[in-house]
Amino acid sequence: MKRTFMNAFRFFVTAAVVFCGLAVLPVSAAQALTCSVTPDSIPITFFYHGAQLSVTGQSATADDLIVTVTSEPIDTVLKYKEKVGGLVWMKKGTLEFKDAPRVYLLHSTAALDRILGLVERNRNLLGYDGLREHIRIEDSAGNPAEDRWFDEYLKFKKEEKVYDIQEGSVVRQHGIDGNTYQVAIDWPYQAPPGTYKVEVVAVRGGTVVDRVSTSFEVKSVGMIAALSKMAFEQGGLYGIMAVVIALLAGLAVGAIFKKGGGSH
Amino acid sequence: MYMYLPIALTSVNYLVVMGLGLGVGLLSGLFGVGGGFLMTPLLMMIGIPPTIAAATDANQIVAASASGTFSHWRLGNVDFKMGLYLLIGGFVGGAAGVQVIKILRASGGADFLIKMTYVVMLGLVGSFMFVESLNAMRKSKKADPAAAPAAAPKQKKGGFFAALPMQTYFEKSGVTHSALVPLVLGTFVGVLAAIMGVGGGFLMVPVMIYMLRMPMHVVVGTSLFQILFTCIEVTFLQAYSNHTVDFILAIILLVGSVFGAQIGTALGKKLHGDQLKILLSIIVLAVTVKIVFELVLEPSILLSYAGGH
Repeated sequence: MKRTFMNAFRFFVTAAVVFCGLAVLPVSAAQALTCSVTPDSIPITFFYHGAQLSVTGQSATADDLIVTVTSEPIDTVLKYKEKVGGLVWMKKGTLEFKDAPRVYLLHSTAALDRILGLVERNRNLLGYDGLREHIRIEDSAGNPAEDRWFDEYLKFKKEEKVYDIQEGSVVRQHGIDGNTYQVAIDWPYQAPPGTYKVEVVAVRGGTVVDRVSTSFEVKSVGMIAALSKMAFEQGGLYGIMAVVIALLAGLAVGAIFKKGGGSH
Repeated sequence: MYMYLPIALTSVNYLVVMGLGLGVGLLSGLFGVGGGFLMTPLLMMIGIPPTIAAATDANQIVAASASGTFSHWRLGNVDFKMGLYLLIGGFVGGAAGVQVIKILRASGGADFLIKMTYVVMLGLVGSFMFVESLNAMRKSKKADPAAAPAAAPKQKKGGFFAALPMQTYFEKSGVTHSALVPLVLGTFVGVLAAIMGVGGGFLMVPVMIYMLRMPMHVVVGTSLFQILFTCIEVTFLQAYSNHTVDFILAIILLVGSVFGAQIGTALGKKLHGDQLKILLSIIVLAVTVKIVFELVLEPSILLSYAGGH
């Protein structure tokens, strides 16, 4: 009885392995999607002015690719201006942009709307329409704000260079190593320190068929890190240091310029 | 050419920042104003967040005004006694102004009132100084072209100010006032400066010239002396409570501004009082016009980070 049961179990396990293998086979044959980012750590030093990122990997020949670089979504409070009394533009109040990534950079092999339909784009948070659906905007009383504020938010973020879409910037190569892709990204210095996610999505026939991700870190080092730490952890000492150095610099230069003499 | 700022979290071209420091420092040495009303918007234009722009500006003014005060003290242009009374008044007024602004903010619509106060005050002060110094220049030309122009305006004898108690002689300025006058005027400027979110140099200078009747060159030195202490306090408080002072940015700015302050002081020696007043009034009026345009024209971006003025 026990032997019969074991035989049956072996049969099912073998059948399952063969079935899974067959299911996976077409993808393997078509080349699995991979991605890596270089460098995987960007140090913020004294003379930092942004960096060059390179995302590379392998993919199936027929697939279109969408590469996104994003940060963890956060709630951002911004002041907004409106016309007051029909005459002057004033800061009128605050708006909260909930669940919005600080950075959103997207690169693709072709125009987004040609690769993927609107519903699928929105579902996968690909493109500004997807973000429009995802980010909730509330006024200070917690009421939903008008949709036009998303356009203003986009304008604000694009001006900061932390939101950007570049279609057709992912370059493919077909060689003996297989089908590879590569995209060069200008990393904006305006992006704050933190961990960022790089995700590559493969699209075939208007559907997302595969995705892979990795991450990299942007980190203050050396004197930049030390000053930042001191400013937040020892505010009093930092304040005294700022005042004393400013005073000494002012008095030293005042003493150097010794040309004074005789009042008016 | 670029340096990263650890608190502002952005990178700036240090030559541009030094240039800004030099320009504003020059105005500081020349007119005895801190220059916050010019520097803060300029820093915001190169991508510094508003709260950090305002706090860091105070830090660099410490250097520029220390440099300027030192040079003016050498020239005998600082009335420490008057400066001290104005400073005490300014501190009291600043603290009161912060409370006033809290009440105004709670009642709503305060920002509109603040902006309008700012524009009206700048416009009035600028226009008054412009017309007054123009008239003075014409008169001095007609009366005697060779006459020494920097003499203090004659103090009116009698009247309300003379009847006040605690009359004291201010040797450097060559004027006699009740100690209450600079204390009250200092408080008044302190309240307005706190409401408008500025250092108050452009208000204090006209108060010293027209109400305290001090000679222009002593006004510049004394104003810088007073600004020095105000900005030391602001820098410390901002660093301690809000962590908004960017030390690297302040250093780059002050490299420019301390030299600018020296050049300004040297240049100021070559100009006489009325010329200085008319130049300052033109700058104040230009800033007023710029603010009016900003208020009336639709901004290209309607969102901004909180803070600033």
